[in-house]
Amino acid sequence: MLKLVAARIGLGIVSLLLVSLAIFAITSLLPGDAAEELLGQAATRETVEGLRARLGLDLPGHLRYLNWLGGLLTGDFGRSLANNVPVAQLIGSRLPNSLMLAAATAAVSVPLALAIGITAAMWRGSTYDRAVSMLTLSVVSVPEFLVATAAVIVFAVHLRWLSALSAATDITSVGQFFRVFALPVFSLCCVIVAQMVRMTRAAIIDQLRAPYVEMAVLKGVGPFRVVLRHALPNAIGPIANAVALSLSYLLGGVIIIETIFNYPGIAKLMVDGVSTRDLPVVQACAMVFCAAYLALVTTADVVAILSNPRLRHR
Amino acid sequence: MSGVLRRLSAGGIVGLAILVFWVAMALFGSVVAPHEAGAIVDMEVFLPVSAQFPFGTDYLGRDMFSRVLHGTRYTVGVALIAALIASGSGLLLGMCAAVWGGWVDGIISRTLDTLISIPSKMFALVVVAAFGSSVPVLILMAGVIYTPGAYRIARSLAVTVNAQDFVTVARARGEGTLYLVREEILPNILGPVLADFGLRFVYIVLLLAGMSFLGLGVQPPNADWGSLVRENMAGLHEGAPAVLMPAFAIASLTIGVNLAIDVLSGGRRSGEAG
Amino acid sequence: MANTKNDPIAALDTADTARVMDAIRRGATRRELMAMLGAGGMAAAAAGGVLGTAKEAAAQAPRRGGRIRVSGTSTSTADTLDPAKQSLSTDYARCNMFYNGLTTLDGSLTPQPALAESWDNEAAKVWTFRLRSGVTFHDGKPLTSEDVVFSLARHKDPATASRARSLAMQMSEIVATGPREVRITLEAPNADLPVVLGTFHFHIIRAGTTDFTTAIGTGPFLCREFQPGVRSISVRNPNYWQNGKPYLDEVEFIGIPDEQARVNALLSGDVQLIGGVDPRSVRRIQQTQGYSVFETKSGYYTNLIMRLDQAPGNNPDFVLAMKYMFDRAQMRTAILRNYGVIGNDQPIDPSNRFFFPGLAQRPFDLDRARFHFQRSGVGSTTLPVVCSPAAPNSVDMAQVLQQTGSRIGMNLEVRRVPSDGYWSNHWFKHPIGFGAINPRPSADILLTLFFKSDAAWNESAWRNPQFDQKLVAARTETDEAKRRQHYADMQVMIHNESGIGIPVFQSLLDGHSSRLKGLGAIPVGNLMGFDFAQHVWLDS
Repeated sequence: MLKLVAARIGLGIVSLLLVSLAIFAITSLLPGDAAEELLGQAATRETVEGLRARLGLDLPGHLRYLNWLGGLLTGDFGRSLANNVPVAQLIGSRLPNSLMLAAATAAVSVPLALAIGITAAMWRGSTYDRAVSMLTLSVVSVPEFLVATAAVIVFAVHLRWLSALSAATDITSVGQFFRVFALPVFSLCCVIVAQMVRMTRAAIIDQLRAPYVEMAVLKGVGPFRVVLRHALPNAIGPIANAVALSLSYLLGGVIIIETIFNYPGIAKLMVDGVSTRDLPVVQACAMVFCAAYLALVTTADVVAILSNPRLRHR
Repeated sequence: MSGVLRRLSAGGIVGLAILVFWVAMALFGSVVAPHEAGAIVDMEVFLPVSAQFPFGTDYLGRDMFSRVLHGTRYTVGVALIAALIASGSGLLLGMCAAVWGGWVDGIISRTLDTLISIPSKMFALVVVAAFGSSVPVLILMAGVIYTPGAYRIARSLAVTVNAQDFVTVARARGEGTLYLVREEILPNILGPVLADFGLRFVYIVLLLAGMSFLGLGVQPPNADWGSLVRENMAGLHEGAPAVLMPAFAIASLTIGVNLAIDVLSGGRRSGEAG
Repeated sequence: MANTKNDPIAALDTADTARVMDAIRRGATRRELMAMLGAGGMAAAAAGGVLGTAKEAAAQAPRRGGRIRVSGTSTSTADTLDPAKQSLSTDYARCNMFYNGLTTLDGSLTPQPALAESWDNEAAKVWTFRLRSGVTFHDGKPLTSEDVVFSLARHKDPATASRARSLAMQMSEIVATGPREVRITLEAPNADLPVVLGTFHFHIIRAGTTDFTTAIGTGPFLCREFQPGVRSISVRNPNYWQNGKPYLDEVEFIGIPDEQARVNALLSGDVQLIGGVDPRSVRRIQQTQGYSVFETKSGYYTNLIMRLDQAPGNNPDFVLAMKYMFDRAQMRTAILRNYGVIGNDQPIDPSNRFFFPGLAQRPFDLDRARFHFQRSGVGSTTLPVVCSPAAPNSVDMAQVLQQTGSRIGMNLEVRRVPSDGYWSNHWFKHPIGFGAINPRPSADILLTLFFKSDAAWNESAWRNPQFDQKLVAARTETDEAKRRQHYADMQVMIHNESGIGIPVFQSLLDGHSSRLKGLGAIPVGNLMGFDFAQHVWLDS
């Protein structure tokens, strides 16, 4: 197991390098560079060239990449081209916010989704199962910006119970935490719960049809025991992967929520970086996402292996 | 097939009916629609439901009913094909990775991990810059963006099945890879894979709203349903049908597709068990 | 909706006003006040009337204290406190809190003294500015001419990457002629230099400043916190040179790019003032108890660009057909919900003092459009019209145009491109496209930037030497009537010949809590020309 994790970490570093190279290549394919984007409508040849020289964008691409990589090896993520702030500092100020929102959402959504998914599988075909299915599908098919905006109109504008903005810096009490986080967490749960519920239900039902489970049922094992002791352990692999996929969305994919609630997270940072062609920022964000994604899927794989005796001995 | 039909539940019939309806609208919606997609028919914006305008009017005073019908083609067509691409290639790659394991698994997994780490907005902008913004490009791009997710699910399912006794037995029997995949693994993971497909389809419908906003794919005055919701958001506070109707359309299509999937996978399952 | 109401206490002369207002504030009784006014020789009835309005004015009088949160329309890591780099409303609003210019523009865009208390010129070519005394920077250092020279000269250095470089290049020499006197020599005469120096980019910073992580200026607020892409917090500058101002203790400035989210944040009470309200949201805000919308009529426009050096714009008949095809009234109603003024294919809006009312309005005339279109011989070729959310309303305008075009057999195809990179990659790079031009403080700046033959942003590649001569003549002319005539002639030329179609001028709309008072219109932008912070106050 340790060997597997070590191998994964090694491969993860390779993945990160690949990502940085891919991002670098893609950015150079994008029309316009940081100098042009920063000057926008006011770009003239002279000002663009002046700014390019100052930002070091006049060097050839491969040199810039190697410079960046060299800096990275010494722990230096570089400075933002847009505002000259060290990238590490930018990420450092945003990442905790993103992690806090992700953690709050995960804490609500994962137990909820697993409970709903498992019960739906247990009583498959029942009215409850159908209702759950309809509800999750309806919820997931409503665009995120609609859910979030509607929730704001109801709970913040009309009822005034909750805050329409989520400025993460001003939280001093539990009540305030709830006031600020309730709406974004609710909106995000609407997006990610469906995938986990449906995968949990499908994976368990699949296992319930397997011969060994049928055997257990024939032996007279009760339905709860069948699901929890027999079906669930074998279904944990796909479930863990669905959970990992859903959670990976919580860092990079929450741009709409961050925008609507004016929440200073890392997705917004990256989108800003893309629109100003701020390569060091984009690189760093992409690597954070990649690392988070790899950590999540590796955890999912490890959980799958640990939970499944057959995989453990391979 | 007759087995499927015999076992059709009420839900299944509803699902198939919805699906057939929207596919028909995708083909003939522009003929049925009372107005052109871009025609400004009234000076009043966000009108409520009426006999004249069954879905009200949009933010520019256009007939929403016509706009939804015109948009069906883009939503159903683009999303279905793109979801098929994503789930199909994800399934194929996932099974290859699970059966062969080792370095094949490593290469596929690492490549797709890289892909998933590239922000989709950035990806979309590059694609538009390089290949223009036609609908086929949009379909391919949406397919590629959602392949890694489909792959993750398919691989994890296949790995579990691959480790089970009956596969080991078959392998010991000397069965070829193709046989293993087709006869042993695929039938045993198809249920969850189809469930995943149903969701991936929704994700792509929703992705389209963002993509066309970036200038990719469907060009005004036409719009897919997600974009219709988005462009009429100013009417949400008064509950304008212009924003709610396309959202309902998306929900109905999602439910239709998933009910139909349940029928298909359920029918296949019980047929095989018998 | 601008506050154009007569000053309620204008009936009293200034000395009386001060006395009465002071008395009201002290809490004088009606009897005392009547006695005061009577002593001033006023009849009792008239005094009663004056008293009523004076009391109302006292209620309107600025109140000190309070904190507000304000949202602009954008926020990103590129937010800056460097005056030279300001590019979006967020930057303008922030820099106006922390810095001052030599001059400042009032509601009629006339330059008023700010850090310069007076100025004079020789033939509009050599200008001398005398600085106000007793002004200090936030760190306590007194303002000197050295700071002014530094602040102005840095725009000319390409490495500064100033957005005002083209304007700054006309200053050939900037020297300190005394501790509080600066002399600026221009390449060519420009009667509008005080206007130019009243624009935001020419804010005055401390000599030698290179670090803009915070702002050390002379402005009404001190910078307590600045996080690009997140927020800024400003607190009252106790030593501000303008007596009594600012009124607010603290202003938090954030940016919410999504219009719906911005309006929701206002109506939920999370912010008290928002810039950039969509015309479609006006009714909603006005119908909510305790909230109002403030309209600033401005010269802001989104324009159709037809390149005159490429097909089909190189055919004058085609250009005319397009101009006659603008259903301006429909665009104003459907897109702007009537928060705008019909345009006439020339960039000077009716509120500008150089607007030429004698120029006949070009009508929406499909017959003439059809006639010119047929004569152009363009036929049924598909013509892409490039538009983008980056140019506000351009996507909708393109759709309305396409609809109208189909009625005369013109085959326009709407091509929406990303906001991302629009200004560098698409703006006037296609035969038919859209631009969006922010209000400029003077007709000269606007015409020089966008219509002069060799202008970097000559959008339609329109070249007319006669126009260029008129432009220079108007700039150097000091006789108002002659100047007006030059500008009238130029408007006619643009209207007739250029490849620019301007269907409507759009009003700038802000939403605010009704408790927030003192907003006025300075038509260079939203939020009182982005200078709201030192003028507004919170009513109790």
